[in-house]
Amino acid sequence: MSDPLHEVLSRSAAVSVTATLIAVLIGIPLGTALALARLPGRRLLVTAVNTGMAVPTVVVGLFVALALWRSGPLGNLDLIYTLRGMVIAQVLIATPLITAITMAALQLLPPDLPDQLRGLGANRRQLVVQLWLEARLPLLAAAMAGFGHALSEVGAATIVGGNLHGQTQVMTTAIVEDVGRGEFASASAYAGVLLALAFAVNGLLTSVQQRGATWARS
Amino acid sequence: MGAVVNLRDVRQRRAGREVLRLDALDLEAGERLAVLGPNGAGKTTLLRLLAAIDPPSDGAVLVDGVSTRTGGVALRRRVAYATQRPGLLHTSALHNVELPLAWRKLPRQRRRELATAALEHLGISHLAGRPAHALSGGEMQRVSLARALATEPSLLLLDEPAAGLDPESRSTFLADVEHALADRATTVVHVSHRAEEALRLADRVAVLVAGELRQLDTPSALTCRPNDATVARLVGYDNVLGASIDRDGAVRVAGHTVGLSSAELTGPATIAVWGAGVRLNAAGVGGLRRIVTRVTPGPGRWEVALDGPDQLRAYLSRRVTPPVPGERVVVTFDPDLAAVIATRAS
Repeated sequence: MSDPLHEVLSRSAAVSVTATLIAVLIGIPLGTALALARLPGRRLLVTAVNTGMAVPTVVVGLFVALALWRSGPLGNLDLIYTLRGMVIAQVLIATPLITAITMAALQLLPPDLPDQLRGLGANRRQLVVQLWLEARLPLLAAAMAGFGHALSEVGAATIVGGNLHGQTQVMTTAIVEDVGRGEFASASAYAGVLLALAFAVNGLLTSVQQRGATWARS
Repeated sequence: MGAVVNLRDVRQRRAGREVLRLDALDLEAGERLAVLGPNGAGKTTLLRLLAAIDPPSDGAVLVDGVSTRTGGVALRRRVAYATQRPGLLHTSALHNVELPLAWRKLPRQRRRELATAALEHLGISHLAGRPAHALSGGEMQRVSLARALATEPSLLLLDEPAAGLDPESRSTFLADVEHALADRATTVVHVSHRAEEALRLADRVAVLVAGELRQLDTPSALTCRPNDATVARLVGYDNVLGASIDRDGAVRVAGHTVGLSSAELTGPATIAVWGAGVRLNAAGVGGLRRIVTRVTPGPGRWEVALDGPDQLRAYLSRRVTPPVPGERVVVTFDPDLAAVIATRAS
């Protein structure tokens, strides 16, 4: 029998929201740098980011588990089978997606906009903030996609978290476990709540996003 | 107070190719310089150098004695650069105008005052609350100009501000620009590939062709004495053709005298003639023999196209009866509406 629903739900939400926030903090600046700066090896980095989007979550989970395993390079951190280890795995899953969408969003802005803003006196920080505001709709979409990716993945959560009852069991791993036991009613309940959680978070972000879209259209 | 601008030995290269070469260009405080040139002449490259967006590959660009290489944000904030596309942000027109003032850390109340005044100055205060992207092309250009003017720049750079507007909107917009700049001491550099825009707003006009300064003169001198055939075409001469000048000063085109003479030049030359300076005479008088191919009514004139290698165009007053297509005429030129130019490679 899986953990009580409210425990699994709060664990899932905490892990995925934390991972998404960290991935946003990494992915948006990284995507911005890839879109705007003339970095050495930029093409290689872009290819790596795009590849990162296609890597199965179970493979990410494997690599993270190998790194966090007690005999692995980060074994002394004691993060395997912990929520923090799961957050690391989900950050690695969500970051490429957020980075790639950010990069594409900024590249779709009018190409002379950065020069126009510089020509009006923006310093580098003001310029970047203004470009983010201008691309706020796709950037919110990037955050939503990252959150959805993190929340829905099961492979990395199982491998890195271990689906330990009372500790690392999250919605997706609980569903897999219940289905394996033939407890479809319980699995369906988890699935319904998972959908509701995804709907609530994305609904919040969408309302912010579409408020901006309405303004842009009007 | 307008900025003093000096360019010295400026070379700008892109992908290994020299796209701008200016040995010297100086602007006095408050001067209005138009930069006229065809596409690819280096006009926008020049503006980007002046806006301190790009450093020159070689040489120095100085604004009030400060190099654009080292002036940083402080220098860029004394300059306002309005690019060809208005580049308005997805927010209200008023907020667009306020934004550069916010970057300069002006108090909210002062920002609002300056932005509102700039919008009023251009007659668009009623657009303040409208989303910038819902505005028409002309309204966007005015908001873009208001945004640049609100910062009270020492140096205002306008890159084809009327591009993309229809002729009527363009004329109205340029009148608004003239009005907005009338009581300001700002130094202005205005880029255009349209002679009528460049000549209208400028104290002096710099003609750029293929990255080189071909002529720097007052609008009056430029239109009366273009340096070469390319400049003559750019300032709007309707007819530019090869000629030769006899030792006695008579100008000949294809061996025929055409009513022009030159006291200073001999040998190969170029002549530039406004359409209104082309006289169509009855056969028998000395001049170029041509056949009328088309007559069309123009603004207050008849526009007459003639056959021949030079494809001459003549503008006749609407008071006269125009020739008819197929009619033979003898062409001479009015010396007051023509320029004789020493031939140089162009």
